[in-house]
Amino acid sequence: MTDVRTIEVEAVTKRFGAVAAVNSLSFQVAPGRVTGFLGPNGAGKTTTLRMLLGLVRPTEGRATFGGVAYADLDSPLRTVGAALEAASFHPGRSARNHLAILATASRIPRARIDATLDLVGLSEFADRRVGGYSLGMRQRLGLASALLGDPGVLVLDEPINGLDPEGIKWIRSLLRALAGEGRTVLVSSHLLSEVQQSVDDVIIIARGELVHEGTLSSLSAGDSLSVLVDAPDRAALAAALSAAGFTVTAARAGLVVVGVEAEEVGRAAFAAGVPLSTLHRQSSGLEETFLHLVGGDR
Amino acid sequence: MSTATSLSTTNRNDLSHLGIIQSEWIKLRSLRSTWWTFAILFVITVGVGIQMSSSTSFAWLDGGLSQTGMQAAGVNAVIIGTDINVLVVSVLGVLVIASEYSTGMIRSTFTTVPQRVPALLAKSLVLAIGTFLVVALAVAITIPISIGLLAGNGIDVRLDDPHYWRAMIGSICYLVLIGLMAFGIGAILRSIAGGIAVALGLVFVAPLALGLVGGSSAPQIWLQNFVALLPFNLGRALTAHPGYADFASPGVPLQRPEGLWVLEPWQGALGLVMWVVVVFTAAIVLLKRRDA
Ligand SMILES: Nc1ncnc2c1ncn2[C@@H]1O[C@H](COP(=O)(O)OP(=O)(O)OP(=O)(O)O)[C@@H](O)[C@H]1O
Ligand SMILES: [Mg+2]
Repeated sequence: MTDVRTIEVEAVTKRFGAVAAVNSLSFQVAPGRVTGFLGPNGAGKTTTLRMLLGLVRPTEGRATFGGVAYADLDSPLRTVGAALEAASFHPGRSARNHLAILATASRIPRARIDATLDLVGLSEFADRRVGGYSLGMRQRLGLASALLGDPGVLVLDEPINGLDPEGIKWIRSLLRALAGEGRTVLVSSHLLSEVQQSVDDVIIIARGELVHEGTLSSLSAGDSLSVLVDAPDRAALAAALSAAGFTVTAARAGLVVVGVEAEEVGRAAFAAGVPLSTLHRQSSGLEETFLHLVGGDR
Repeated sequence: MSTATSLSTTNRNDLSHLGIIQSEWIKLRSLRSTWWTFAILFVITVGVGIQMSSSTSFAWLDGGLSQTGMQAAGVNAVIIGTDINVLVVSVLGVLVIASEYSTGMIRSTFTTVPQRVPALLAKSLVLAIGTFLVVALAVAITIPISIGLLAGNGIDVRLDDPHYWRAMIGSICYLVLIGLMAFGIGAILRSIAGGIAVALGLVFVAPLALGLVGGSSAPQIWLQNFVALLPFNLGRALTAHPGYADFASPGVPLQRPEGLWVLEPWQGALGLVMWVVVVFTAAIVLLKRRDA
């Protein structure tokens, strides 16, 4: 790794005909952290990443790596490693040949091919035609292509899609390790829960526009608390809680009390002498906050 | 970031033309379809050449064929397969570039070589060299066999005839140039089916269709002259031997209508190069402009 850069997206707009896939989008991605790039299907994630990589020309604005457009980088593959959601290889070639093609053009030492194949766990299949690969194996090959040049910046479009649980665990720790080495890591996903455990920061877009940018914990700040509580004698519990001044709503699994900690609910039930069968704290969850953010007025 | 401003001279660009060419060579050789196509090119050149050489005979002709007629017969016997191979190189040319678009490989190509044009040129160079080597090898093998077979049929081909060799080299270059033109068409259309349809339409259908119209009741010279500028007929000019008339209709001079162009081999070559240049110019302009 030679060159670590910040990803800078500055007021980028991309229109396909009348459709604005990305609309005046600005954000930055800092080195040393894993940043989740989130948004529902069709939000404009892939389009944004393609603009970053110079594959698609922005209608307006610019996307750079520390001020330098991708096409102007001296050593693109050694600076930025990218894995796009759609397959970017010929199914008739082996993984080894695919990587050899990239390495040869970029003067990346041949030894890196085996090293990267090994890293992503494809060594065993390296000489098989990619057309016969499973979705997860293709994802691994995409990742190998991205890591080949030992780049300081990684741009990964939905890298977790199609991986088995073991693969997901592995890629999460890999992403953490890459950021730990000081690299800039941008990972897109349409599911917050998919990346929640591995990201430090989140950039959330919907309908081509930024809806949230910040640390993962900044997302949970707007969280609303609730407590699920139940008792063999549910009616008595409801009466006791109402008497204690809580707002109670009935749910299938019990009663839901909003805006309080479990401890307060437990104490109220104890004071009223109602034995409990269930008491636990529910967080409305990041996923719900996420959905709320991207939901908007569709 | 301090590194962000390093557009300085100290930073060596990793992308070299040689590296890009080598990379494109790996691409070409790592696909089975390439080797299949090369094998077909080879087999057609040698096979059709042998077949034609063994079946060409002018024993029926009183007084036999003139020497220049025999030279033309020798040329014809070796390069007759070219008319079929034009089809094969057209398909190969389109396939090599359009398959990158249909598979998504093009994204890897463009992220590796973001300037795009060097990759396109390197790819076409590798295609041209590969086609040249395969066809040249096939022709080199066919020539001695053909000469032996023709001698058995009473046709003595002399090898000190520069027109003979010019036609041989011309036929090889013809296939290379048609392959490049098809490559350019594939780069413009970015679709295998569309590219093959247009390339074959231009190479085969257009001269045939326009030739029929042009040669109808009232021969239209301008149209026939236009047809002469189509790739197929430029190839005919490039690979022609001056003794062709003696060979094709011995004893009877060919009638040519007034005002019809008869292109010299070098004009045929120039015309084909122009086709390639025009198609490549369009392909490069679009390549730089379009989203991938
Ligand atoms: N080449 C194109 N031509 C026309 N419209 C396009 C093109 N590429 C993308 N779009 C449109 O732009 C919008 C954003 O698409 P994009 O692929 O960037 O979304 P995404 O966030 O990656 O979605 P997903 O989670 O499904 O991958 C969509 O409405 C899509 O239809
Ligand atoms: Mg996408």
